[in-house]
This record gives sequence, structure tokens and C-alpha cells, in this order.
Amino acid sequence: MTQLAHDRLPCGVEYGVVSLPHRRVVSFQIMVLAGAATEPEDRLGLAHVLGDTLDKGTELRSGRELSDAFDAIGASTGTGTGREAVTLLCTVLPEHFQRAIELHAEMLCRPTFPEDAVQVNVELARQELKALEDDAHSFMDKLISPLAFGPLLGRHPLGERETLDALSRDDLVAHWRSCFCAERMLVAVAGPVQPSQVANALEKHFSAFGESGQSQGRMPLEAAFTPGTKHHAKQLEQQHIGICWPGVGYTHEDYPVQRVTLGILAGGMSGRLFTEVREKQGLVYWVDAWHSTPRGCGMLFMGASSTPDNCAKTYETMLREVDRLAKDDIDPEELERAITGIVASNETRGDLTRSRCNEMANDLFQFGHPVPIEEKLAKVQAVTVKDVQDYLMKYPRDSLCVVTLGPKEFARP
Amino acid sequence: MNDPYTLHKLDNGLQVVIEEMPDVRSAAAGFLARTGARDEVRDLAGVSHFLEHMMFKGTEKRTWREITVDFDRLGGSYNAFTSEDRTFYYGWVRHADVCHQIELLADMMRSIIPEEEFNTEKGVILEEIAQYKDHLTSVAYEFIQEKVFAGHSLSWPILGHKETVSGLSRDQMWAYFRERYAPDNLMLIVAGKVDPGEIIGFAEEYCGGWEPSGTKTDRKPPEIHGGTDVLQVEKFNQQIVALTFPSVGATHDWHETASAAATILGGDNSRFFWNIMQAGISPHTSAYAVPYEDCGVLMLFGACEPDNAEKLLEAMRKEADIICREKVRQAEVDRVKNKRRTSLAVEAEAPYERLRQLMEDMDYRGAPRTVEQMLADVDAVTADTIADYFERYPINVDGHLASVGPRAWPQV
Repeated sequence: MTQLAHDRLPCGVEYGVVSLPHRRVVSFQIMVLAGAATEPEDRLGLAHVLGDTLDKGTELRSGRELSDAFDAIGASTGTGTGREAVTLLCTVLPEHFQRAIELHAEMLCRPTFPEDAVQVNVELARQELKALEDDAHSFMDKLISPLAFGPLLGRHPLGERETLDALSRDDLVAHWRSCFCAERMLVAVAGPVQPSQVANALEKHFSAFGESGQSQGRMPLEAAFTPGTKHHAKQLEQQHIGICWPGVGYTHEDYPVQRVTLGILAGGMSGRLFTEVREKQGLVYWVDAWHSTPRGCGMLFMGASSTPDNCAKTYETMLREVDRLAKDDIDPEELERAITGIVASNETRGDLTRSRCNEMANDLFQFGHPVPIEEKLAKVQAVTVKDVQDYLMKYPRDSLCVVTLGPKEFARP
Repeated sequence: MNDPYTLHKLDNGLQVVIEEMPDVRSAAAGFLARTGARDEVRDLAGVSHFLEHMMFKGTEKRTWREITVDFDRLGGSYNAFTSEDRTFYYGWVRHADVCHQIELLADMMRSIIPEEEFNTEKGVILEEIAQYKDHLTSVAYEFIQEKVFAGHSLSWPILGHKETVSGLSRDQMWAYFRERYAPDNLMLIVAGKVDPGEIIGFAEEYCGGWEPSGTKTDRKPPEIHGGTDVLQVEKFNQQIVALTFPSVGATHDWHETASAAATILGGDNSRFFWNIMQAGISPHTSAYAVPYEDCGVLMLFGACEPDNAEKLLEAMRKEADIICREKVRQAEVDRVKNKRRTSLAVEAEAPYERLRQLMEDMDYRGAPRTVEQMLADVDAVTADTIADYFERYPINVDGHLASVGPRAWPQV
């Protein structure tokens, strides 16, 4: 079994380490549990703008100097804002790990949020919000999320035009003060590092970060599903379909069954959706099914894009295949393929250090502790045909949310 | 260090290239067909890509269903893609499964292109074309290719046109396939935890009986056009502004230099990032060196609010002028090199990433390069080589300007 370490430091930071002695790089993720769902209702987009402004100046360095310092160690970095967390990603050569943590600490603990940088990042967020509509899949995600997850977890990280207009530097500073602290941090590390090295570096650099007692952000947030149909008219070549219904979350005992069920439905090219919608009928180029799991809940999604004349047939076939899964026999060989798909994908991607880091980060975020990959895969491998059928009875698709985007109002058959 | 490569040529001309990676648990294998969109004639634009889809549709041994089922029995990931220069079919699996992966891919390379699947798949391709037309960046790239390489096969869209794909027959595709997918125009590439002797044995067993065609690839570099071209598409919100200039091809000594110059200009922590994006003019502006086998372009590419198009163009031109007139600072070069070292270290742990690099090196250079050799090429880049590059390939000239978006700008 892989060596996993996990602890919570006196400073409040929770960390997990996957020790991989022979790797050439170290990857780490810092999650600050202060995503879009923590924003005030009239300041949507705040967490995203804050995430983008963190590296634009610190008490020690200008934004350019900070970027140069990261480049001096060849760090590959990125920042992303999601509904529940702001996540900072980094991959470096092992000899630069300590320095990379130090620079991240400087950015998180001592940002200055220069006024001009705040204004620019608000303006860029406004532009990105408009640009979102030039990519049908991204736009569909924005349209369906509030219906799938409700007003908190369904927020889009880019916010809304009106709320972005209201954002000021004071809002960023206030949000940073109230939500950015060591106790809201989860740090996952993978690579040729010792857990003690990680602990020492984190304790050293984050010991005075934020006020103690700010441990909010660790509880699941309330999700609210809104069934129904919604069409967004737009002059496009294709009609884009999004369908969702409630499933289970990442830590739920039925989660491994949900993964396998999705594997049967949409795993690989032999999955039922690809086979029935694309291979047999040629109705689409893209069709897929997936799940999205904030802490404490989960939603199943299906999506497809087809020209308007093919839309109704595509929609009918997608739902028919879900129903067929519940009603007809599942071939044991089909089940086996879905399981193999999950296991093999995990093992091949496991060669990537950043993938191992991501797995650890997800475990800390969802379970609150690391779970050996062998344990998770064993649960997937134990799934039976009956488990899948029971799952489909327990979580039927009888209450749907359907969103369409495109040139034609779509009448559900 | 020990050479991790094994190169072997079968009697029928099929080249086999293997990189051993003893520290990983997986392996990736792929067949490179040295044929792509630029090898098509105008009326058959899109045949390479359509054929790539049809290669999954049946062989003497397997139906399309059996092909997809067999891929999914192995798990991991698999796919194929078509570019201007080549078509590539690959799978990334657990190392113990690599022989099955190679057998399956090899079987696919002897497709029968089943007639009964042809029209259904044509529908899929037409949907793919429609999907691209709803995506601003894709529309812009196709428009730029069409104009910059006008009159040359590099100007065809990889997916083809709706008309050419609709008009394509199975017989036309079959003739193209017979000529271009012979073993003397294919290559089997494998990277990961593998035994080279075993792989060569599989290659002999599965591919040794294939007949060569003696096909020759006749490629000529295109003329790279300047001028201004505008595509007004009202359904989009943003405007793409792009400047394109001649650059070096993939095997030129200045290949890494061109790439470093583009990164200094338009990568992370670049001049574009600080002087254009962080000036609020555009949320995404970048610079890319786009190399082909025998030519290349350097592209400055930005998206903005339609009303900001003039400002974006002016800002890109200004930075292009400065980098041509004033030598870049050594610190800027060093930053690019440092990041490249990290990205190469990441690549070295991923069989699929190594497979892609091997494919490119074998196709363009005829020999693989180790990560250490690539690092040496990166280390050879200096402020002086960048200055020499811009003297030979200046970007403070007109170049080609493309504007794509809701605004009919500039007036031509």
C-alpha cells in the first residue's frame, strides 16, 4: 500500500501527504474553504476575483516580482475558484518544494490587493462572463447549475454582471479577513517528500494566518434541486441539452455503485449512450453522462449537442437508455467493463504525481481524511448487477431538470 | 545514461519505436499514420478525419461493437486525432495489457471501412462540424488557416466542409486508405513499462503480413499570406483579433527559440499578460509558435469586447515592435527555461505524454529525443538567439490580421 500521512497542525492547517520516493516532481494543492458559496448574496463573483488578485501584490513583492519568484524555481502554478473552495495548484522540482510553499504562504497570508489590480480583475471577470456565452458547454453549465444545486451551490464562480459591478477592494479585504485562515486550509502533497518536511514547512509559514476559531467552511452546504424545463434561446447551429436529477455524494455508501452505473451508461465508447445515440443513429458528436458531487450531495447529469432536427430523438434515446438500465437486464460483462474502466484509469493516471495529489486533496475535502486507493477500488470491484439495479430503484430519474440552449424551443416528448 | 530507445523496422517498412520507462506502472501504444488534412485534395477535404472515425468501425476480425468493447475491456484511455500533418491512434493502459492494446490497434489499422456504417458516421461528422461552428475560438482558428495558407492544402479545415464531407463516397475513402495506411507510411510507437523484445515480436506477428504501397508524401511548404480578413459572426459576444507571421518549422534549429520567444511575449507572466490582460483590455491574449513539418507561423491571438478591438490590436503591435527592436532580458529567457524543465520532468513520468513526444520526434525528425536532449535544446536558447530569430522573422511588420466576431471591423 502507498504511504499516506494525514494530520492537523497546531496552526490549524490540515494536510495529507502521498510519499512517492522515486518521482521527479512534487505536486501540491492548497484548498481554502472559501469558494463562491461563501460570498455575500449581493457580491457574487467575489471569491473568483479575490483568487485572481491574490498574486497581484504582497507586503514583500509586487505582482510581477511574485510571478518572477515563482518562475525562478520553474513552478507550474494555477488558481481556480469553485463553489466551495479557492484552490491553488503547484508542481515543482523536489528541490524547490520549500520555496514554493513559502511563496504560496506569502500570497495567501500577506496580500495587498492593489486597487488597480482589483479593478482590472473585476473588469476581466465581466468580460469572461460574456465570453462564457461563446462556448455552448460552459454556458449550459451556468444555466443548469442553479437548478441542479440551488442558490448557494449553484452559483457560477464568475458571478453576475450586477454583483460584479458592485465589487470593491474593501469587499475583497473583508472577505479575505473573514474566510482566509489556516483553519480553513486543506493541503495535499504528493511526490518525493517526507510528511515531516511538509508539516514543518506548513507550520512555519501558516502559524499566524488568520484568527483562530474560523473553522466554518467544513460542513456540507444545503443543496436545492428544482425539477422542470427551461429553454434559453440563442441562434446556434446546434441544440444543446442538459438533463439532471439527484444522486448521491462522494462519501455515500452507494457512491461506488453510482460510479459503476455511470460507467455502464457512459464509460468509454461501448457505454450505452455513446452506442445508442452516436454509434447506431449518428445523432450527435458529443453525448455524455457524469456526476457532480459537492460535499454532502450528488447530482447526475447527461448532456448532448445535436442539430435541431436530431434533438428530440437524441433526448428520447438518452432517457430511454437510463430507463432501460433500470428495467432490463444488465449484462455482467458490461458491468465488468465499467469496473475495469474505473480501476485501469486509476492505475494508469496514478503514474502522474499531480493525479495522486488530486486524489489526496479530494479525500481530505470529502472524507476529512485520506482513504487508500486500494480501499476505494475494492468497493468499486465489489459492485454487482443487483447493486446497480437497487441503486436505480432507490434513485430513479422520475423528477428531472431539463435545460436546452439553442435556436428552437424544445417540447419534451 | 542508458539509451531507453529501441528502433526496429519490419521487412514491409513498418517502423517500430519503443521507449522503456521502468519506473512507471502503465504503458501507452499508438499507430502513427503519416497522413493528415494537408495531404488531401480540395474536393476530399475532411477525408483524413472522417477516415479516423471509420477506423473504429470494423475489420475482418471485429465489428465496430467488438472494437469498442475490446478497448473498454482493457480500460485506461484511448482515442485518435487528426491534424494537418498526421493521424494518430493510441491507448494508455496498465502495462500488463499493452500486448492486447497493440493487437487491437493493429487490427484497426486493417479496417474494412464498412459500407453500412459510412452514412451513419457521416452524420456524426456533420454534427461535429456544426459543434465547431458554435465555438468562437474554433471558428477563428479555421478562418485564420483558410486565409493565411490560402491556395494550399494547409488551408482546408481538418474536419472538412459540410459540402465535401456530404459528398464523400466510401470508394473515395477506400482509395485514400489503401494508399496512406500501408505499413511503409505507418509507425508503431510504444512507451512505458514494456519489454522491447516482446513488443517487436507482437509487431512482427500482428503487422508483418501487411503489404507496403510505396506511397510517397509529396508536401510543399505553403506561401504565407499577409493582409486583413474579417469574418463577422453576430451570434458571438467577443471579438477575436489575431496577427500571424511566418516562423520556423518543427525541425529548424530555432524551433525552441521560436517557442521561447512566444512564451516571453504571450505565455504566463509574459509581456502580454502584464501589459494587455492586466491592463483590462482582454481576458485572454497569448502568443504561440505553430510548427508544421516544413514551415511554421507565429500567432498573436486575443479575445476582447468588440469595442476594445482597436486597443487590443494596438497593444499587441506595440509589444511585437518592442520585442523586435530591443533584445529580451536574460532573466526572461531563464524564466522560460526553468518552467520548461519542470514541464519536461512531468512529461518524463507519463507514458502517454512520452508517446506524444516520440510521435512528434519520429515523424518530424526521424529519431527520438530523450528528456535530457530536449533540455539541451532548451538550454541553447539565449537572448541572442531570440534576437537573431526576430531579425530573420520579424513581427513588427504587417503580417496577417484576422478579426472574427460580431463586429465588422476593420473596414477592408
